[in-house]
Amino acid sequence: MYPPLVIGLRIFLGIIFLYASWDKILNPGPFAEVVYNYQVLPDALINLTAIVLPWLELFLGLCLIFGLWLPGAVFLSNALLIVFFSTLLFNLARGLNVQCGCFSTSPTTIEGSAIKWYILRDFLFLAAALILFYQTYLRYRKKPLST
Amino acid sequence: MPADKASLMIFGRKIAWQSALFLLISLAVALLVNQIRADGLELPGNWSPEFRVTTPSGEDITISLEEARSLGESGEAVFLDARPHSAYLEGHIPGAKSFPWLEFDQYFERVMTELPDDVTLITYCDGETCSLSKDLALMLIDMGFPDVRVLVNGWGIWRQHQLPVETGA
Repeated sequence: MYPPLVIGLRIFLGIIFLYASWDKILNPGPFAEVVYNYQVLPDALINLTAIVLPWLELFLGLCLIFGLWLPGAVFLSNALLIVFFSTLLFNLARGLNVQCGCFSTSPTTIEGSAIKWYILRDFLFLAAALILFYQTYLRYRKKPLST
Repeated sequence: MPADKASLMIFGRKIAWQSALFLLISLAVALLVNQIRADGLELPGNWSPEFRVTTPSGEDITISLEEARSLGESGEAVFLDARPHSAYLEGHIPGAKSFPWLEFDQYFERVMTELPDDVTLITYCDGETCSLSKDLALMLIDMGFPDVRVLVNGWGIWRQHQLPVETGA
């Protein structure tokens, strides 16, 4: 049995990934614009990223919620959240005003306090993912070799 | 080998093959769905500034600096500055109206009622990769304005050519 903390974190992150993936899967064109606006990928990789990333998020979300392939799902969730978080910070540092496409492809204004809220939010997601990774790791460390 | 280390290796191996499969499955499903769906994206896709500024029907709506200048000077065109209002105040193309794309709803009525009829609308923002001017232009075309053009990287090339600028409201 998984401890309640682990189950809670899995469902929390799983729902976030499912929610984040859905709009992007439905609207690949606007999501590609969002990827482009972040200005971190070469042009040749923008559409491929916009096509594949939402499906990866969908599968990760499902596996987190249902407890399948957890080591891989938790590891990749951390990897994605680290990339998202550092890209956000990178663009903030270089003063690029990106329309955050984290949850929606509809235009929203990001000014001042909004960007701070995005950073706080992404940081919370990343913290949750790191705790979950540590817990998943503990589970394997404690596991007797025979099982 | 201690049990600890062995189980960690199992953990590491699981991370590796499961992550690889996640990526492969996502790639396969995503490419397949992209092939089937009507609004699938092209691969690798063309993101050059000129190509990005086309209408959904494929019409190129970019305008050259020379043409934009002469239309602006003769009063046949009005420039719309799609950047945030604060950037407009710091400097803009003379005669341009501030029309921040990100505050479209607040500015639409105010800007549009001031415009003469039958005028070409030329949107611009700053930088080749800036999408504000294109988004604004496509929205206006979508709303039925017939003659909307985009001066790609308008503010950038305007300053490069050291053309006169206006500051303030």
